[in-house]
Amino acid sequence: MIAVGMLGLIIGVIIATLVLNVSLPEEWAAYLSLAALAGLDTAFGGWRASLEGRFHADVFISGFIVNALLAALLAYLGDRIGVDLFLAAVVTLGGRMFLNLSLIRRYYLNQFALRRQRG
Amino acid sequence: MSENRLYQKLVFFSIWLVIGLLLGLAFKEQTRIRTAELPSARLPELARAYVQEKQSNAALEEEIRQLRQRINELETAFASGAKQAELLSQSLQEAKMIAGLLEVEGPGIELILRDSARKPSGESLEQLLPELYTIHDYDLLRVVNELRQAGAEAISINGQRIVATTGIRCTGPVVYVNDVKMASPFVIHAIGDPKTLIGALEMPGGVLSDIKSVDPKMVQLKALDKVRIPAYSGSTQFRYARPVSAQEVKP
Repeated sequence: MIAVGMLGLIIGVIIATLVLNVSLPEEWAAYLSLAALAGLDTAFGGWRASLEGRFHADVFISGFIVNALLAALLAYLGDRIGVDLFLAAVVTLGGRMFLNLSLIRRYYLNQFALRRQRG
Repeated sequence: MSENRLYQKLVFFSIWLVIGLLLGLAFKEQTRIRTAELPSARLPELARAYVQEKQSNAALEEEIRQLRQRINELETAFASGAKQAELLSQSLQEAKMIAGLLEVEGPGIELILRDSARKPSGESLEQLLPELYTIHDYDLLRVVNELRQAGAEAISINGQRIVATTGIRCTGPVVYVNDVKMASPFVIHAIGDPKTLIGALEMPGGVLSDIKSVDPKMVQLKALDKVRIPAYSGSTQFRYARPVSAQEVKP
């Protein structure tokens, strides 16, 4: 599962850096980064869910799209009203990513311990 | 079950693919912004300043050497007396050259500045700031200043020689240079090292980059092997200024 994800990530980065030749306006750069962050968060969430055996593709996809859009929208709104709202998105998404990663780590550690007990 | 598993994998793959795309784009964008901001804007400027400083040092040393030689020449000329008239006419030629009273030619550049052909439309920048789209006296002044700084030895705008007393001034829709009316396009000729002159004009953040950022078609710049610049044809009368202590001015 994860190998598939990593393959997708690598191909995506390669396409973005080598094949795609779009230059976005500078103001969009911050929103783009934020959308990428939101996507990363959802992906880690999906990884964790798949490990726990409760992965639902529809939740995953909708979460990905809505989170990315919401994060970008929040940042835009923050820009308009002069409040650094993107910080809220960064803190929330960053915190959740750490949480998900720690759960993923624990899952693999458990697996490892179980295998050693049996072995 | 296995079909469901495959579907999951496909979804996972495509989502990570999109994340990769976003990350890659964001990464590229940030790199671009960073490189556009700092080093590329500063480095050429500093490099140019360094090279110019070095060149001007060498030129000054050469000048010292020539001046010493000149002193020797003058001393021997005074001793002989015969060569005096010749030396006088030579220094008169030099003074005329400096004052811009002689037609000169040499390697240099041709710069054409013209008003933008774009028509103002809607809520655009053109309508808000229409003056950005025409060439003004300050554009010409900045160009002339930059050319002089880069060591241009003679400059003309639309055939009008730029001398020490030249004024460049907008009056309504026209620009006066040496009290001669002119309008876009402005053809500016300058004699000097073409590379240095072009480098000075195209410096990041300099006058041409400012004009080009509005409309690149307003600027046409090229190096020429031979530029001919006419002599100053206006009045050279001094009505108020007088040289101080005539005895000291004697050669």
